[in-house]
Amino acid sequence: MELSQLIQNLMNGLAIGSVYAIFALGYTLVFSILGIINFAHGAVFTLGAYFTYTLVVGQFENNGLLKGINLFPDGSPFSGNPWLFALATLIGAAVAGLVAVLIERLAFRPMRSRGGDPLLALVSSLGVALVVVNLIQLLVGAEIYNFPSDAYGQVRPALSFHIGEKVVIIRTVQLIIFAVSLVMLALLGYVIGRTRVGKALRAVAENPGTASLLGISVDRFILITFFLSGFLGGLAGTLVGTAFGVAGPYFGVSYGLKGLAVIVLGGLGSIPGAVVGGLVIGLAEAFVPAQYSAYKDAVAFALLFVILLVRPQGLLGRAQIQKV
Amino acid sequence: MGDFLGQYGFLIVTMVQAGLLGLSLYFPLQAGQLSLASPGFYAVGGYVAAILLTNPAFAGWRDALGNGMFPLTWLAAALICGVLGLIVGVPALRLRGIYLALATIAFIEILRVISLNLSITGGAIGIFGIPQAFGFQDRWQYIWLFGPLLILTLLFARQLERSRVGRAFRAIREDELAADAMGVPPTHYKVLAFVIGAVLAGLVGAMSAPFLNTWNAKQGTFDASIAILAFVLIGGSRNIWGPVVGGALLTAVPELLRFLADWRLVINGLVLVVASLYLPQGIVGALGGVRRPPPPRRPPSVPVVVEAPGGGS
Repeated sequence: MELSQLIQNLMNGLAIGSVYAIFALGYTLVFSILGIINFAHGAVFTLGAYFTYTLVVGQFENNGLLKGINLFPDGSPFSGNPWLFALATLIGAAVAGLVAVLIERLAFRPMRSRGGDPLLALVSSLGVALVVVNLIQLLVGAEIYNFPSDAYGQVRPALSFHIGEKVVIIRTVQLIIFAVSLVMLALLGYVIGRTRVGKALRAVAENPGTASLLGISVDRFILITFFLSGFLGGLAGTLVGTAFGVAGPYFGVSYGLKGLAVIVLGGLGSIPGAVVGGLVIGLAEAFVPAQYSAYKDAVAFALLFVILLVRPQGLLGRAQIQKV
Repeated sequence: MGDFLGQYGFLIVTMVQAGLLGLSLYFPLQAGQLSLASPGFYAVGGYVAAILLTNPAFAGWRDALGNGMFPLTWLAAALICGVLGLIVGVPALRLRGIYLALATIAFIEILRVISLNLSITGGAIGIFGIPQAFGFQDRWQYIWLFGPLLILTLLFARQLERSRVGRAFRAIREDELAADAMGVPPTHYKVLAFVIGAVLAGLVGAMSAPFLNTWNAKQGTFDASIAILAFVLIGGSRNIWGPVVGGALLTAVPELLRFLADWRLVINGLVLVVASLYLPQGIVGALGGVRRPPPPRRPPSVPVVVEAPGGGS
């Protein structure tokens, strides 16, 4: 492979891989606290993108019950300036976080208090995902919505430079996605590693019973966890939406499934594992040769299958000995 | 009567078919294994039948066998799915709980991408114009295929439960280590339960391909696997009638909700949430169909690999 091709693939892989990482962290946070996989996470990802789009554009012109309603007749206050767009993205992610809190309240907490089969959490969270996805379809239709091209302000659409004879082209949006993801990862690492809230979260993840005896309100931290999870999922949705368009209500489904591959690859419940898993899968997909690109979507699952057979605890997970 | 069958015949056959798919997931679950692989084997079985019934390479066979071709497709689908189940099951069943579930999700996603890209499976378009076993207008007659298969499967499941193998399945479900210590080889029985489910799903797929007339990569998806899991859990996972009742009801609900038009899929999702919250033993369990008391609460036997957030320190 030529150097220019290598750099191009590397950049593509890191950009999408870093989004996989922050998205998958949403799964990881919930799994580390409750030991369940929230199958509604992909739907929250989709919601984040739609919330941000609503703030930035203000209307859905194609189809659905909301057709013809314009939130901002005088033009959106969130357009034209990259900082306003960033604000809209954060608000969109925060609302997605609140939806995740609502999901915990309605679908997970009642089941915990009744001591239901943990497998049922899979079904009820998927029920929630069905509700969300079909509500979106009902409200705004199934069309693809694209963010305005000047969402990030007046920037060049791509950077290009020469390596020898070859040209390497990197889309600006990829650089932005990568940078935002890194900032988010650093922030999350700080919150969880260095703050009191993070310390309490770790305590709840380690042992909810003991944490509660030590005066930590377990239920409150479960809500905080779901908020963070939804925030990361919604943010990832907007980031992917700016790069590839908000591709309909089912937009999040394939990311939802790939996110599962990411967390298993890194190790279920491991935060550094989710980051490594995301980057590995992003890079692996970017380096699939062009003639096999139709099989790109299978790469994540092939890796998942192999890692489960070779090292079920994942790359960075800790194995636990089965006790009687 | 003719009107009734014309209007609801298709739905009734689909309900029986759903019950069968629920049972295909129930067998591994009896041995305590949560496998979501059923739609994968269902899709493979359907492709085997569709290819045998439409591919020009088998035109000679079709001419020679006539309607005898249909039983041949069932046999071929069962055989291929059984072998595939063995190939996937032997390595995958070393995993437990959610890990096995995730591995089987990977399996169906890989199958889906492969079937989207092979020419023999018709790529993204799939295979269409699959010959009908009965007239296209009288598709309710497929009940003569799915009905006997359901009865045979239920009889088989009942005999199995009373046999040595069924007791081994239950022993593994209740406590794998204890079963192993008592001389019940867990891997052997887990793979057996998985393969039984695979063969059944493949058979249902082979019968469904002509029934649905077209077959494509949408047949074996993650959504389908959760739908089938819902059949079993909401019907009741501890009784052979659970998957049948769950499959039939959950298939009928969207049809009964048809008057809600665009809202019905939203309501369908709500039904899943509410049922999993308020009927944790499943419908059959709630009706008292479960003779055994619910299992005592105990820590999950899943090797939960949880690392403290911010881990490594």
